[in-house]
Amino acid sequence: MTNSHRSGGWEAERRRSYRLGLLPALLVLGLVTIGPALYLLITSLTPLTPTNPDTALDFSDPLGNYREILATDEFWRSVWVQVELSAVTVATQVAAGLGLALLLDRPSRFLEALRTGFLVPMVLPPIVVAIIWKVLYTPDISPLHHLLTWIGLPVRSLITNPSTAIWAIAAADTWEWFPFTMLMLLAALQMVPKEPQEAARIDGANALQLFWHVRLAYIRPTLVVAVLFRLIDSIKAFPLIYVLTDGGPGGATQVTNYYAFEQTFNFSYWGYGSAVAMLMVLGVFLLSLVVNRLGGEMLDE
Amino acid sequence: MKHIARQRIRRRQVLATAAAAPLLMLPGKAPAQGGTKKLSGVTLNVSCWSSSYPQYLASYIPEFEAQTGAKVNYETPSFPIYNQRMDIELATRSGAHDVVNVTFIFIGRWIGAGWVVPLTDYIDNPKLTPPDWDVNDFLGGSTAAFKDRNGRLCGIPWIADVQMAGASRYDLIQQAGLKLPDNFDEMATMLKAINHKGGIPAFVAENHYGWTFIPYLQGFGGDVFRHAPTDLTPVLDSPEAVAAADFFCNMLREYGPDGALSYTYDQVVQTLKQGGVNYSTNNETFLVQMANPDSKVAKTCSLSLMPGGHAGRFPNVAGHGWGIPVGSRNKDAAWEFITWATSKQLFLRMFRDHGYSSVTRRSLIDMPEFREKLRINGIDVAQLYLDTLKLGSKGYTIYRTVPPYPPIDHEIDVAIQRIVSKESTAKESMAQLQRNALTQLKRAGVKL
Repeated sequence: MTNSHRSGGWEAERRRSYRLGLLPALLVLGLVTIGPALYLLITSLTPLTPTNPDTALDFSDPLGNYREILATDEFWRSVWVQVELSAVTVATQVAAGLGLALLLDRPSRFLEALRTGFLVPMVLPPIVVAIIWKVLYTPDISPLHHLLTWIGLPVRSLITNPSTAIWAIAAADTWEWFPFTMLMLLAALQMVPKEPQEAARIDGANALQLFWHVRLAYIRPTLVVAVLFRLIDSIKAFPLIYVLTDGGPGGATQVTNYYAFEQTFNFSYWGYGSAVAMLMVLGVFLLSLVVNRLGGEMLDE
Repeated sequence: MKHIARQRIRRRQVLATAAAAPLLMLPGKAPAQGGTKKLSGVTLNVSCWSSSYPQYLASYIPEFEAQTGAKVNYETPSFPIYNQRMDIELATRSGAHDVVNVTFIFIGRWIGAGWVVPLTDYIDNPKLTPPDWDVNDFLGGSTAAFKDRNGRLCGIPWIADVQMAGASRYDLIQQAGLKLPDNFDEMATMLKAINHKGGIPAFVAENHYGWTFIPYLQGFGGDVFRHAPTDLTPVLDSPEAVAAADFFCNMLREYGPDGALSYTYDQVVQTLKQGGVNYSTNNETFLVQMANPDSKVAKTCSLSLMPGGHAGRFPNVAGHGWGIPVGSRNKDAAWEFITWATSKQLFLRMFRDHGYSSVTRRSLIDMPEFREKLRINGIDVAQLYLDTLKLGSKGYTIYRTVPPYPPIDHEIDVAIQRIVSKESTAKESMAQLQRNALTQLKRAGVKL
């Protein structure tokens, strides 16, 4: 009796210690993440604008911003632009990253050096990447445009044409971020055990069959994680759009976070912008759940 | 004995210095050299958007620091970045800045909301304002917009931004048997005649269309609001507005350089100076740079008044001025900076050193030296400047100063982009602009 009492006491003590140990982390989490998120939520329920400080506490129509957003064509257009941009950039980054990872997955000093070179775009500050592409896309100073003109294939400005502007952004984004997927997939490829690969080779599998039936199965979880990371990151696309097109021409490259930025910081509709941001948080959360579940199912398989 | 006397003298000197110290700390009474300077220990944070005057000013700031002992942190971000950042800082009364540019388009909002302090008390105080600074020397048109509802001046203009027209290769226009256009019909004829002559496109406009398009809108008989500031109902889908948009966008599409929609004011200036494009309707402060020594077109450029339409001539006229945020903790020192930065002497030096001509002081414009130097290839630009200011005094630019205008300004940018890029027709795009403007006004709480 005394022992069991002591044991229960020890368990309780242990739980208490765990909780105490967790407390600082929870406090930091609360301050850094949950606090601002709550503030964002509260602000989104008001028509807050700094020109009228009274609006900070105006909760007379808490869902007004959300109603207005859902009825605004510009918002829905920005969502569609976002979907287009995310789909294209994630697909091209995964394809380019996987292709290069397969090519670089060989023991060679030259390939190791090349691997480091491929990482350069990813480690450049985003604003520098944007400026590089701004130069490349500005016809009168662009070496790319000059070269194309010189070989008899002149191309009109890509970033001021609504049909090509989003693809121009996607190309720059892919250049910047394919090294991330390449790095992840290369690491995964190097972890694939040799035995099943050798067995497949002995059975007569060619390179494509070897990749499809053996290596892909091993790297699939990493592939899912890479897609998830890039998908979530693509929703945060900002510097390229800001520098290259400013959301234009005519809103053709205005993704949802750019729309929120514009409403909040250019027009000072802080409440409205917060509501757009809340919808984005919700969207990213749902997206994470879906991708996570898909990834889990693949892992189970 | 001598030793004792020296000690007494030292003691007297120390006592005298100690007694005088508090007096020396009074504003305006500190010695300019030797010992503590007037603003020693004061750090002034000054911000303005990047343009000719703010860039030139940077080279003189070390002199202000040496004279006063103040340390000046000076920044000149681009126009949109500046406005966006300052709007937030002023709204939150952060006190991060002591001297800021009061942007014309935000006058109604920043001054109306009381985010910058009235300067009348400083101007009227002879202890704080040098006698030769003279507020009445500023052009009436340039100061009028900076007054609050009580008539108090809240900004000191450093520029009277007036819109003109300029050609980098006037020789090509003459070869075509034409002159600089006086109206939009002549402009269309000229652009068609000179396009790609000399291997360069005929026309370019800064991609801030909420600024560069408006003289066309008003020249065609349209406007932004029905009757600003009393009736802010937008009229951006009127037949006149559609015709103006169609005309302007057609000029830009047919005669503009590749990627014309991406041309910022800086790109426009540089391209004109390099002779990369011929004609533009833009700010005088930008266009006169075609005559600078580093310009390739100094000998061939020419300027004229902004062309007009059948409804009249409506060149943009705006002003930007220095103000003091209510949150500043160094207001007196900030005023010292403003009086220095807008003094006759400094404007004159900027004019002589850099050719800065968009000055706001009448006494400078009237100087024979100024008039002579602003004679560009035979054109009296100073007179064009005064004539444009006179046109602007009619008040047709009041639409820019109403608080809800900034988002509509942006919507105009986007509407023009849609038309130039053929994403929409002028009629469709202006109808959408009208809807968006109504949404923006509703969101801003404007009752229509």
